Amino acid sequence: MAINMPGVGPDAEAVRTGDAATPDPAKTGAAGKRISPFKLYARRFARNKGALIGMVLFVLLVLFAAFGRFLTHWDYTEADFAALTVSPGTGGHLLGTNTAGNDVYAQLVHGLGRSMIIAVVVSLLTTAIAGLFGTTAAYFGGKVEQVMLGVVHFLLVLPSFLIIALVGTHYRGDWKVLVVVLTIFGWMLTARVIWSLATSLREREYVMAARFMGVSPMRTIVRHLVPNIGSLLIVTFTLGVASTVQSETALSFIGFGVKQPDISLGAMLADGQGTLSTAPWLFYLPAALVVLLTVAMALIGDGLRDALDPTSQSGGRA
Amino acid sequence: MLRYIARKAVGWFLMIVVATNLTYFLANAFLKPASNYTALRPPRTPAEINHSLSLYNLNPNKPIMDRWWDWITGIVAHWDWGQSPTGGSVNGQVSYRIIVSGELVIASTILSVVIGIGLGVYTASRQYKAGDRVWQGISVISFNTPSAVASLGVVALAIALNQRLGSTLLPVAGAQSPDSSGFLDVLGSRAVHAILPTISLTFISYASYHLLQRSLLLDNINSDYVRTARSKGLTRKQAIYRHGLRTSIIPVATQVAFAMPALFTGAVITETVFAWHGMGEYFTKTISTNDVHGVVAVAAFGALMTAVGAILSDLVIVALDPRIRVS
Repeated sequence: MAINMPGVGPDAEAVRTGDAATPDPAKTGAAGKRISPFKLYARRFARNKGALIGMVLFVLLVLFAAFGRFLTHWDYTEADFAALTVSPGTGGHLLGTNTAGNDVYAQLVHGLGRSMIIAVVVSLLTTAIAGLFGTTAAYFGGKVEQVMLGVVHFLLVLPSFLIIALVGTHYRGDWKVLVVVLTIFGWMLTARVIWSLATSLREREYVMAARFMGVSPMRTIVRHLVPNIGSLLIVTFTLGVASTVQSETALSFIGFGVKQPDISLGAMLADGQGTLSTAPWLFYLPAALVVLLTVAMALIGDGLRDALDPTSQSGGRA
Repeated sequence: MLRYIARKAVGWFLMIVVATNLTYFLANAFLKPASNYTALRPPRTPAEINHSLSLYNLNPNKPIMDRWWDWITGIVAHWDWGQSPTGGSVNGQVSYRIIVSGELVIASTILSVVIGIGLGVYTASRQYKAGDRVWQGISVISFNTPSAVASLGVVALAIALNQRLGSTLLPVAGAQSPDSSGFLDVLGSRAVHAILPTISLTFISYASYHLLQRSLLLDNINSDYVRTARSKGLTRKQAIYRHGLRTSIIPVATQVAFAMPALFTGAVITETVFAWHGMGEYFTKTISTNDVHGVVAVAAFGALMTAVGAILSDLVIVALDPRIRVS
């Protein structure tokens, strides 16, 4: 899985042990040509053209965000007052400048990186919280379960987008605050899905065995329940990245997310809104990057779902 | 059935009350209504500012519980949701904006449901053929396009079209042109102004119905009762429409019931881009102008819409699924 998911080291490690423990018909079937579950998943993933395209796109975007700044000597905060709103290619500005004279290329590199970091961190945190919360509720059952689900339902009713906007404006668009609030209000639906899945695991033999052997609840949850929904967590994480990019873009676009002097793709779109007919590159470039990023993540998520799901037919035969 | 709905409604009502009050305290903690007065010339003293604010029950020197009591009694006794920091009733704004939002939301919801479910059926009955793959690709892209990009993209296309034609065929801003008068004229103008925002809203929302309907129908298309229907002599098309679709449309209907209320406040970006003065735009305006009472009204409206959606979805399930009995 490490090949498929760059940047999620510890999580992927945890999943690996879990998936290896799950009996896989394709793996145990023929003892003669045993292939590791990883090779199997990688093979099924690679067979899906869309997923491969998504993977390549994502890697390219990561490379661009990480090393793109070495291709220009402009800084994203630096304003070139000799070149306001110049079109791409003029005055040493690779992709032109915006109305304030900032180099668009430098801003794109930084904005893409900022959007990616927010999305990956938030998605990791929400997936972890949702996984733990959902499985804990399912493991205990009864009163504990009812209370925990009550908390989830209550948080779902709260006007989360509004509260995120309130807090975001108060802290003047600091991206770390944005990560915190997006995480706090982002995990509930996933937790519910995971809970409904984990209720069926609660009755499985290995969970029963652990319970009767006196293994502590926390240990049972972390070592037995969470790894067994590993594939769902991976898919949730990938799709979470795409949806967080969307939320972050939306918030920054209406001015409640990342703000000056920091920049994200959503904030760049908001900048480009006013000059759509006079300086279209200020809109097209960040728009293209946002769509590429979300579509790439969605394709990867779809590919992973097919590769990890033993009953899926869409990947062809194992 | 009625008792069941009544019990649900009471539960939702309590949740709305709690959520609204919580938002009131949060808004008071995070918003500074006084900032509306600091830019005025000649500059006001803090005492003057607080005097103006206390007219609207926003004076920060008054204890928060006293302010809350005045606010909540206003709502319970007179259904008065308070005033903005510079005067102006929240009630008036909200009642006007609900209608504006409604025009936008209802048309795009109907369109996206029809397109989404239609495409879902079309692609599911042609799994992995060219038509399926092409539509799948388009829907994945549109589903993952952030609404800011979708709305601005539609604006860019419309501007290009208008420039090509040399006239403003499709207006890109506002809900109606300011110089139209008379009933038919206004109606026509509103309809023309609604075209572009409706297109952009439909573009971002139809795909979820398409993808969901497709996967649900695929789960059902090979099930026993659809095969039985085929063996009775129905054509494949008839079997799918009469038997497969009926069961697989239930979750889609639930999703529609939930999504429609969210659209009322969720169309923030579309309304901002197209300069429609609806609930979504009010949402951004109240936060950026530190309008505590307006923010709370938006939150209450959003919570109410969620509750309506939840109850609607229950009704839809009962109506569509013969297996469910509620008593």
